[in-house]
Amino acid sequence: MKRSIAAVLGAVTALSLTLTGCGSGDDDAGGAGDKTLTLAGWSLATTPEFKVLADGFHAANPDYTVELKEYDPKNYDTQMIADLAAGKAPDIYVQKTLKNFYTYQNGKQLLDVSDVATGLGSGANGLPFYQVEGKTFAIPYRQDSWVVYYNKALFDQAKVKYPDGSWTWDDYAAAGKQLTAGLKTAGSKALGIYQHVWQSTLQGFALAQTPGADLSSGNFGYLKPYYTRAVDLQKAGAQVGLGDATTNNLTYQAQFGKQQAAMMTMGTWYIATLLSQQKSGDADKFEWGIAPAPQLDKSTTGLSATPVTFADPTGMGINPKINKNKIETAKKFLSYVASPEAAKALAGIGITPANTDAAADTIFAIPGVPTDAVSKFAFTKHDTKPENPVGKYTAPLQNILNDLHTSVLSGTTDIDAAITQAQDKAKNEVLNK
Amino acid sequence: MSRVGPASVIRGRNTLLGWSFLLPNFVGFALLTMVPVVLLFYYAFTTWDIFGGAEWSGLDNARQMLHDASFWTAVQNTVYYTVFHIPLTLVASLGLAVLLNKRLRAVAFFRTVAFFPYIASIVAVAQVWNMLFSPGYGPINAVLRAVGVDNPPGWTTSADWSMPAVIVVGTWREMGYFMLIFLAGLQTVPGELYEAARVDGANAWQRLWAVTLPCLRPTTFFVVVLLTINSFKVLDLILVMTNGGPGQSTLVLAQYVYRKGFEENQFGYASAVSVVLFLLCFLITLVQFVVNRRREA
Repeated sequence: MKRSIAAVLGAVTALSLTLTGCGSGDDDAGGAGDKTLTLAGWSLATTPEFKVLADGFHAANPDYTVELKEYDPKNYDTQMIADLAAGKAPDIYVQKTLKNFYTYQNGKQLLDVSDVATGLGSGANGLPFYQVEGKTFAIPYRQDSWVVYYNKALFDQAKVKYPDGSWTWDDYAAAGKQLTAGLKTAGSKALGIYQHVWQSTLQGFALAQTPGADLSSGNFGYLKPYYTRAVDLQKAGAQVGLGDATTNNLTYQAQFGKQQAAMMTMGTWYIATLLSQQKSGDADKFEWGIAPAPQLDKSTTGLSATPVTFADPTGMGINPKINKNKIETAKKFLSYVASPEAAKALAGIGITPANTDAAADTIFAIPGVPTDAVSKFAFTKHDTKPENPVGKYTAPLQNILNDLHTSVLSGTTDIDAAITQAQDKAKNEVLNK
Repeated sequence: MSRVGPASVIRGRNTLLGWSFLLPNFVGFALLTMVPVVLLFYYAFTTWDIFGGAEWSGLDNARQMLHDASFWTAVQNTVYYTVFHIPLTLVASLGLAVLLNKRLRAVAFFRTVAFFPYIASIVAVAQVWNMLFSPGYGPINAVLRAVGVDNPPGWTTSADWSMPAVIVVGTWREMGYFMLIFLAGLQTVPGELYEAARVDGANAWQRLWAVTLPCLRPTTFFVVVLLTINSFKVLDLILVMTNGGPGQSTLVLAQYVYRKGFEENQFGYASAVSVVLFLLCFLITLVQFVVNRRREA
């Protein structure tokens, strides 16, 4: 009997330890040695870029292999933060949003990779966003930009001229109304514009294009013209209201892909999605094009100027807990992801690499990608600012501005009152706390 | 079994056996619940962005809370939700329980139907209700327009109506669960009491008031305590239905904790707000216990 009690206790303790995760396994990488790197990615089945980079690196350097570790796209940063804090994160991890770069960098979770940056030359867009006090902490491999997508068939139906790169936001709004009216006359239910529910659809442009606009100043007056225009477009029925878009969970892929709207602003990542959805039947087959984002005023419009737009880069950094012997290999990998070869490989699957110039020919050779002069100009020429500055206050200020976004576009608060409220909150809850 | 030792040995053996049964659950509870909860009270007095150590900052978080308008909005909204959600759910679940405690045809079917929302996926529930509430295309407003309401509410897209909409869905979702608890309570009401009331000429309403409700007191108390705690910590429904919006019209305390912690990485401040949420729940439950005890006495 005594022995059986001891056995029960032993079994119970073992079981409890298993249940609570106190295994006796060791975390030593071992075996594969210094030539195997681990890389974080998300939705590996539908996001082929990580595998393309891993395979490309292996092909160029057969001695080295890169293993992928999958994360949940929606909770990527939460899971990554937990893994880093627990010392279980992969050797190299992706900066999925620039907003969280501050958390990682300030938390000393990124190795200094300035030497990699020095070797890159001027080809890599987005590099300065990852630099703090002269040091570089991540290397960008993709750099999208927001552009206008338009449906040529719907434009023809409504008898409206295609965007030619000369548009300011007022021209965009006027075209949206004209399209809606023209489409209605032609018997179509499609609207002129679809504006997705994200705050960046207005705030990203406002911050990037307005001279002197600064998120961390806590002055948000620069948002006013952008919101006034959007509220007017909603009231005029030229775009779906935020309320209907959120309650019905509208997706921009279906709105544009299923021809519910003649044009919309969206990042260049949508090119790859639209191509594959037109192939699979998830999107209708129609002719489309891209044009530069509408501008604040005429000074940056036209094909001889450089249009100002926004989008965050996506970069990779090195986990400081990486095995010392692997640091050089990891840096080699980072140099590769920003190289022209990697840029071409990424462009081959429709992704906008940080090294855009190296990839333009590849991307325009993909069947289905529009090759008219305006589309080519929109893809290659732009001054892309980050969606948000990198800083301690970015995340809380963005939350305050998201409240502004929903309350103004739902018609709850007018833009002046909403800006005053947001500025008060920014001052009391974030900047002067 | 052949050898029986002295009493102390048997007692020792029993204690060991008892512990062996308790241990798996207790170790799990201690490591996964108790330790984090205790740590939370410590982190509430620190500044901590998850990496590195937490820095002791004394009452800074509490001071910050005093001047934090968003925090107070969250407190107000949580109280708003609680004040309406508790009585509505109580009445709805009790009504359902009394209705479905009769020998009706297909009573099991109706009970299942009433319980169903509780086990349905919260994301699906929120999605469907959001579409029902959709201001432009939703069936609810279509019906309202058909019966002559010219300006139907914007529901989840209007700051004034978003909280009522969330409360309606919250009540609809939880009433089935509390109905089950009330149904169990109703089985304990002695049939003789109803018979005696009937003999005395009490009608159905009087029987409910004079027999059913007093007999259900312990159940009702239990339900109210559970409902209070559930209402104060409401999060999932709001997160998927309105995400706190429009503006901050449905921002509740639990979501504020989530925002500060997981979106803004201010884990110290988020812990301090959770402590406030805990204290609110604790104090109100304490008051409920005291009031209940006085009434029983």
